[in-house]
Amino acid sequence: MASITLEELLAMETACDRDEIVDLRSLETVSNYDDHLMCPICRCPFVRPVRLQCDHVFCQKCLNSAITALAASRDDFTCPTCRTPTRGFYLNVPRLLVNMCDDIRVRCPFRDEGCSEIVPRGHVQSHVDKYCGYRLVDCPDNSCSKKTRKKDLSPEGRCLHELHRCLRCDDYIMEQDYEEHVKELCPSLKTNCPDCQTSVFRKALREHIDTCPEVIHPCAASKYGCPVKVKRAELMTHEKICPLIAMGPYFEAQNARLDSLELTIRHLQQRNEIFEDGIANIRSTLVQSSRALTEDDGPPSDVHTLPTSNPDIPRRRDSSNNQSQIDSSNLYTATTTNYLLSLHESLREEVGQLSHAITDLDARASMAIMNECLRLKEDMAHTNAAVGSMRMQVQWLMNPRLHQGQRTGARPNNAAGGNGTPAASASGPSTAAGPSTAFLRPRRLSDSGREGTKL
Amino acid sequence: MGSQKRIAKELAELVESPPQGIVVRLADESNLYAWNVYMDGPADSPYYQGKFLLNLSLPIEYPFKPPTVNFKTKIYHPNVTNDDKGSMCLGMLRADEWKPSSRIHAVLEFARQLLAEPMPDDAIEGRIAEQYKNDRKRYDEVAKEWTRKYAIES
Repeated sequence: MASITLEELLAMETACDRDEIVDLRSLETVSNYDDHLMCPICRCPFVRPVRLQCDHVFCQKCLNSAITALAASRDDFTCPTCRTPTRGFYLNVPRLLVNMCDDIRVRCPFRDEGCSEIVPRGHVQSHVDKYCGYRLVDCPDNSCSKKTRKKDLSPEGRCLHELHRCLRCDDYIMEQDYEEHVKELCPSLKTNCPDCQTSVFRKALREHIDTCPEVIHPCAASKYGCPVKVKRAELMTHEKICPLIAMGPYFEAQNARLDSLELTIRHLQQRNEIFEDGIANIRSTLVQSSRALTEDDGPPSDVHTLPTSNPDIPRRRDSSNNQSQIDSSNLYTATTTNYLLSLHESLREEVGQLSHAITDLDARASMAIMNECLRLKEDMAHTNAAVGSMRMQVQWLMNPRLHQGQRTGARPNNAAGGNGTPAASASGPSTAAGPSTAFLRPRRLSDSGREGTKL
Repeated sequence: MGSQKRIAKELAELVESPPQGIVVRLADESNLYAWNVYMDGPADSPYYQGKFLLNLSLPIEYPFKPPTVNFKTKIYHPNVTNDDKGSMCLGMLRADEWKPSSRIHAVLEFARQLLAEPMPDDAIEGRIAEQYKNDRKRYDEVAKEWTRKYAIES
């Protein structure tokens, strides 16, 4: 059992393809064959089967196209049926399988040309090749591109596609078809009517059959059940006495009536469905509202005094009306209950809206307060800072005065100590310069002050 | 090229012996790759009496690539997207699940089976799947309502 590789298989396929005249897959099979003989890819009986490692069999050509279509790379080809990774292919499938496939009876591919041969599939190639007279071959005349049946080929190699005029019907017929035309097809030939045996022209046969008095015709009332089928000539007499013909117009009228009734019934059904849907909706809303009533005992005494603008109310009333049609005894109670219910509902809604508005306002007010507070805080911080800076300045301004105060307090002490005039003359300019420098450098002032005191 | 032959073969089979409740037509006579499928709602489902139009489009690489199925008729179903595409989530139609040996016949039967028995664990519309599991009655109601609205011509 020699296996071949994928590349070898592909190479072989292209070589085999060339010498194939008949496409075995498009043949019309006559005998029944087992489904197991069918290639899972082309669903035809196997043509040149190939076996994979996993024992699945395919046509060689199908396998080839599967390889090119499925496998991204040549190395990971998997069996199209079981997906087993496959590298090896075996050409020697069991002889039994090949024989069974070759034994299937098929029609000659040139059946349309007139060959009625049925042969085993294995022989069809040679049949077409050697024996089939209907096989189409190229016209021996090189300038003519038409095809000719093999049996019609003239021994001299003449082109048979020239048009000849039929003497009887004035049609132009190719030479190869001329004989057949004259013998069988020409519309000017006479033929016998199958019913009345008169001979008519072939082209007029159809018209003749439509009027031939001998043709068997069913009674016109056959659709109403008249079983009579007589020749056209006798049909008239039958139709005069046939009771079903007499009844015909009545039947037709009945049919029309039935149709229209069916139509109305369908319409009514649709409408009925719509109504049922509506009633179901109304029921469910009713149930909901009654549940709401039992759950929530609102103050019903105020209800009447309040104006209502709820659009629900008319609908509810409608629904209660509907209800009342079903159960007329509950009419009064149902309407009043519904009215109260709807009022209650609308009140609830209004209260809900009000509470909503209140919370809204609340939120807005608190927001405004917050904003105001923030701004005030900021302002206060600003003023604080300003006050602080002012205090600083005041202190700064106060400083020289304080020092001066100290010095004026000290001078009487010096004067009391003795030689006061030089000290006074020395301190004179220093005090005069004092304030001007003191503005800029208070420390120096105190230094000069000290100098003054030392001198 | 090979795909056309197989598609034609499958189409012929489906037209000749269609599965129950399914009718197949070409959307456009000249194009083999787009099909219209008319599916009747299964009898024991809320889709009963509905007629659903599905678009089945086949890739050029068929049967090596899976076909796609879209509901053109709106449907309330956990495995069908609730948009104008109506994509259907079928396990066998996923690219890694698809096998060339699978047939459209099987795809359509599977799709119809899904109408009868939705798979909420494999759902594409989580909300509907949740409802299907927890509130089956309501799901039935809505599905019936949608079927009446969109899938039953009057």
